[in-house]
Amino acid sequence: MVRYPPLRVIQVLLVALLMCAAPLAVQAEMGHNHQSGPVKLQKPKGTACVLPEEQMRRTHMDYLKHKRAVTVREGVRVRDESLKNCISCHPSKKKFCEQCHKYVGVKPDCFECHNYPD
Amino acid sequence: MTMDRRSVLGLGGAAAAGVMLAPGLHLIAAPNKTEADGNKRWAMLIDVNKCASDCTACTSACRTENNVPMFGDPTRDIHWIRKVELKDKSGRRPSVSLPVLCNHCEEPPCVHVCPTEASFVRKDGIVLVDKHRCIGCRYCMIACPYKARSLVYHKTKLPEGGNPDVPIRGSGVVEKCTFCVHRVDDGKLPACVEACNREGHGAMLFGDLNDPESEIAKRIKSVPTTTVRKDLGLEPHVHYQGL
Repeated sequence: MVRYPPLRVIQVLLVALLMCAAPLAVQAEMGHNHQSGPVKLQKPKGTACVLPEEQMRRTHMDYLKHKRAVTVREGVRVRDESLKNCISCHPSKKKFCEQCHKYVGVKPDCFECHNYPD
Repeated sequence: MTMDRRSVLGLGGAAAAGVMLAPGLHLIAAPNKTEADGNKRWAMLIDVNKCASDCTACTSACRTENNVPMFGDPTRDIHWIRKVELKDKSGRRPSVSLPVLCNHCEEPPCVHVCPTEASFVRKDGIVLVDKHRCIGCRYCMIACPYKARSLVYHKTKLPEGGNPDVPIRGSGVVEKCTFCVHRVDDGKLPACVEACNREGHGAMLFGDLNDPESEIAKRIKSVPTTTVRKDLGLEPHVHYQGL
């Protein structure tokens, strides 16, 4: 049986421990230790969204695109479903919209024309 | 228990009434939705005699309301509404000043030539450009006999004190007067008409041509009015009185 010197064993164990702890420390530094996802979104002001949260996360782009066509071409304006109503709960583009958009690397050009406060 | 024919029919009727009523009640409970009404025909009547030549209230109100920028280059500037001076060459008639804007034609040539269907006529007769679809080919600008359309050549920003309710336009799309569609849908008058009334001229009248009780319909019936380039048969919805 091979016998390792005890000092060597402690050295290896220490290195292993450091390797495990390093990402945790970095994560704590970035303030992500209490976050389930990778992005931190600003807490909305209102109590409930116009659609269930899960549905909104996945389909808000289709929803907005559909609404925009119906609004421009048919003149259908629903106050609750307007971009203005989004702003009333999510008042910051940088702290809300762009958090996810940056993470997934999409660049929607809605806000080049439409007003949304930073 | 058996039911006779009469009570079965009665129950059926009650159920149908319930079904009919429920959506009605829902509509009343949700007043925040508006839709373009196909029975309406929005139009404008401009009384040239009341339009003062030194007044630009309508054009400046339009710029403020719709965030229409001025680039300082006459070949690139965007005009949704502009003042035009008409002079009689023989000098027999005094020159007149009038605002010219998109005429929102019943048969708009701009819509007919648009290759992407970005230009369209809304159900209530307002001619609009869907900037999400416009590719900036400028066919419509050539087709329009009123020079009512402009291409956005430069990137624009929401000006200081601008109106956040109207989006600014990205460069490379064509735009024009919308009859202040966002205001009309809200039950308000277009910004130019409101500004003209505020100045006390009252030269512009806006309303629904299909409603025989509206002031514009009554005036067009009772006063001689005309449209610009009537010979083209485009049936414009901007009428002029005293031209």
